[in-house]
Amino acid sequence: MSDTATVTPAADAATDAVFAVRNLWKVFGPKAETVPGNAELTGLDPVELRERTGCTAAVRDVSFEVKKGEVFVVMGLSGSGKSTLVRCLTRLIEPTSGSVEIDGEDVLAMDKNRLRELRRHRASMVFQHFGLLPHRTVLDNVAYGLEIQGVARAERREKAMKVIEKVGLEGLEQRRPGQLSGGQQQRVGLARALAADPEVLLFDEPFSALDPLIRRDMQEEVVRLHREEGRTMVFITHDLSEALKLGDRIALMRDGRVVQLGTPEEIVGSPADEYVRDFVRDVPREQVMTCRSAMRPVDSDADEDTKGPAIAPDATVSEAIEAVARSGFPARVMDGARCLGVVDHEQLLGVVAGVTPKGAAGRGGPAAKAGPSIRKEVTGEVAS
Amino acid sequence: MATATASTPVRDTGIGALLRRRAVVKLLLLAVVAAVAVPILNAKWASGAWPEALTVDVSEPLTKASDWIIDNRDSHWLFTYFFGHISNAIVLSVRGVYLVLLAAGWAGVTVAAGAIAWRVAGLKLAALATAAFAACGLLGMWVPTMQTLALMVVAVLASVVLGMLLGLAAGLNDRIFRMMRPVLDTMQVLPAFAYLLPVVLVFGIGVPAAVLATVVYSAPPMARLTALGLRGADGGVMEAVASLGATARQRLLSARLPLARKELLLGLNQTIMMALSMAVIASVIGAGGLGDRVYQALSTVDVGQALAAGIPIVLLAVVLDRVTGAAGERLGAHAEDNSPLRGWRGWSIAAAVTLACALAARFADRLEWPTSWVVQIAEPVNTAKDWMVDHLYTGVPVVGGTADWAAHFTTYVLDPIRDGLQGLPWWSVLLIVAALAWVIGTWQTALTAVLAMAAIGVLDVWNASLDTLSQVLAGVAVTVVLGFAIGIAASRSKRLEALLRPVLDVFQTMPQFVYLIPVVALFGVGRAPAVAAAVVYALPAVIRITTQGLRQVSPAAMESAQSLGATSWQQLRQVQLPLARPALMLALNQGVVLVLAVVVIGGLVGGGGLGYDVLAGLARGDLATGLVGGIAIVCLGLMLDRVTQPTERRAKKGA
Repeated sequence: MSDTATVTPAADAATDAVFAVRNLWKVFGPKAETVPGNAELTGLDPVELRERTGCTAAVRDVSFEVKKGEVFVVMGLSGSGKSTLVRCLTRLIEPTSGSVEIDGEDVLAMDKNRLRELRRHRASMVFQHFGLLPHRTVLDNVAYGLEIQGVARAERREKAMKVIEKVGLEGLEQRRPGQLSGGQQQRVGLARALAADPEVLLFDEPFSALDPLIRRDMQEEVVRLHREEGRTMVFITHDLSEALKLGDRIALMRDGRVVQLGTPEEIVGSPADEYVRDFVRDVPREQVMTCRSAMRPVDSDADEDTKGPAIAPDATVSEAIEAVARSGFPARVMDGARCLGVVDHEQLLGVVAGVTPKGAAGRGGPAAKAGPSIRKEVTGEVAS
Repeated sequence: MATATASTPVRDTGIGALLRRRAVVKLLLLAVVAAVAVPILNAKWASGAWPEALTVDVSEPLTKASDWIIDNRDSHWLFTYFFGHISNAIVLSVRGVYLVLLAAGWAGVTVAAGAIAWRVAGLKLAALATAAFAACGLLGMWVPTMQTLALMVVAVLASVVLGMLLGLAAGLNDRIFRMMRPVLDTMQVLPAFAYLLPVVLVFGIGVPAAVLATVVYSAPPMARLTALGLRGADGGVMEAVASLGATARQRLLSARLPLARKELLLGLNQTIMMALSMAVIASVIGAGGLGDRVYQALSTVDVGQALAAGIPIVLLAVVLDRVTGAAGERLGAHAEDNSPLRGWRGWSIAAAVTLACALAARFADRLEWPTSWVVQIAEPVNTAKDWMVDHLYTGVPVVGGTADWAAHFTTYVLDPIRDGLQGLPWWSVLLIVAALAWVIGTWQTALTAVLAMAAIGVLDVWNASLDTLSQVLAGVAVTVVLGFAIGIAASRSKRLEALLRPVLDVFQTMPQFVYLIPVVALFGVGRAPAVAAAVVYALPAVIRITTQGLRQVSPAAMESAQSLGATSWQQLRQVQLPLARPALMLALNQGVVLVLAVVVIGGLVGGGGLGYDVLAGLARGDLATGLVGGIAIVCLGLMLDRVTQPTERRAKKGA
């Protein structure tokens, strides 16, 4: 394991982490291995680095942990290194330096067999361009992972059939990939990854090649699968709305670095820098921000803790808007029987407009750079 | 440096001007070299033909080597322990296959052919295959057909195994691929005749030599396509397979090879076609079978017999090509095969029917093709030919006769070109070769071309080679004029293209050898018929590549030219032809290679030149002469290919 890590987290803190990535570098080019250790080179921006050394740093000093059961989204524009990053997790691309652990086990130290075991049983991947075998039927494609593990024919077919049903492909199992639509092909890809019953699912921009409507279906499919099985997922995307919709936590990448890592609400509510702010500018905040961050303390003089609609702290602002508009009273943010605070017109409008009203408990909304704007109903994707 | 000019087709005047400037620069450089070298060379060895002083007599060492091999064939360990085993294995396996074919009887073989075609290619081709084999019997050629088939089976199996192994190595290893590619490219442009003598030197005349020549000739396409197929595997699929934890072996067997199955089948198809072509030509080194019948008939100008043996060759070629081709297309199609005869059931039915037919014929004592069913076509054909000789050869009013044409072509085209070439000072021939190769290609191709040409001089076959070259040039000129004209016409008229397609399909599948039969019937023997056969053989490929090249010109460019009001002549001259330049160059290159291949074989019908040297060497047992002729053919082929080779070579099959 590399010693470059400055902070070694306590062992018990990492127990609920499925993947732990520390100071990961991937540099392409001649003498790539010298770049990460060289303080002078690591400070350069990508263009300078290429001019000086002929190398491209696809992943630069990235650290994060993926917790058990969460959907961890890595999001960034094309060329930001996100696809390289996810391939480093199972060493489809060999990292240049840093460390990757799965359940506390060092992935980079694994020998061929151990690595194969990892790929076979612990982490399966779904690809943007599906990567299906055109000469096999859907059933045999789904069973392929089991086949190379040496599972007997009858057993693997039975398992594959179950997964095919799960992703909604019944009746198509004798077709070949070429006869399916893009969305159906990606369901096959998903089923193939699920068939091995892996601990983690890795998605590499799985829906980028699909039509918008089918993409939405597939996103819902993933949400449903996650709800049903609670499987850990690492999801790569360049689509901000997809990231916000699916992610429990999001790592936003730019030029190989993670510029911000946080919940969707943190990313939208308090962007770390200008780049992120620019990125999330057009996001409909009311659909991401929760009442917990928008509420203000209860004014007990005004009887606010007893009347008005009750709403959960995790409810989105847009839900609160509806409640407030229907009842005409400020909404009470209730955690069980306890009233945490209230949201009224002022707070809700502040969220929508992107300004922080006085007295809000939120962790500092975005500075009012965007200015108050009259917003039409925002739907669909934002950043693609 | 020329890479840039060739990879970007002349699109605007800027690049065009640059290209012209480059060509001028190259020519100027060459002129400077010539100005210095020529006076010196001329002072030292002033002669028209290649100077005696610069030749090396290789016939003596070659004769010695050949004698040594003949003397030691039965005693030296190299032969008894290595070549002897190869030779025996080949003889045994060809014999074995032949006996199996005979034991199956004509009924068994015909039905088996139909059944196999049915399973891999459908009912229509099954009917074609059955009919073709029946026709072979009807023409009285059953036994020679089986001899050729037995040789083919062994040679194709060996070629496929060898080609796959080489292809696997090159497909999985970059270094092997880089080393093998130029070798395979070069082997593909060499005429079949060049392969005959080296194997005869080692194995003597007979079946082993014929099979080995066939294997060497037909394995390269399999190796090449296997390598290309394996390298072309979809990276996304390979990555997905790796991500599932497949081992290297699993990745190869379950993904990389199946992904390349189209290329593999195409390779099989090309290998079979080339093997048939060579198996027929190899009759001059003892292959027997159909080719031998044609060869014997041609040597006595017995057109009827030649035709009777030639038709089965064509039928065999068409059936083999269509069946393997259809099998490839079936793989590509996504049609769901839900018929109850899918898989092993269909095959077992096919096997059962075949067996039943074979047994029925055996018990009916009808194993051999019944003589009463043979249709003798030789005699009527010869009568017709005699009538032609009397009425068409000469003295037809206004148009003259075919023999007159041939004589005129020889006197007014071939002789002047040959005399002109032979009259040129030797160094000027080298200069012309260098200039052409350099302007069209790179300095490397120019160097190879000049060295190849010089080697011909050094081997002292300068005049014979220039004789062959004159035939090639005349043939190429006719081929290119006709081919481009027909190609342009076909690219402009869908009707003409649809009309031409089946004709071209058949012509492109026929072995080179077969083309000699009709030209001998029409023009008699000599150099003109050899050139005519070469033109007919090369024409389909040239037409096809031209048509495809013109058709592939970007429709957007054509549309914009139309919208600017260009006439169709302007469109052709200013848009289509410049944009199709790479395709036209490829057509020229293929034309040259194919014409050479047949001109050399033309030695069989009195074409003279290098082909005659090879044949004479074989006939007289004078292997040295033959080998020198063979090497000169290789050099000539290399030279002609390099001279016409544009920098960007397309991986495309010409014939």
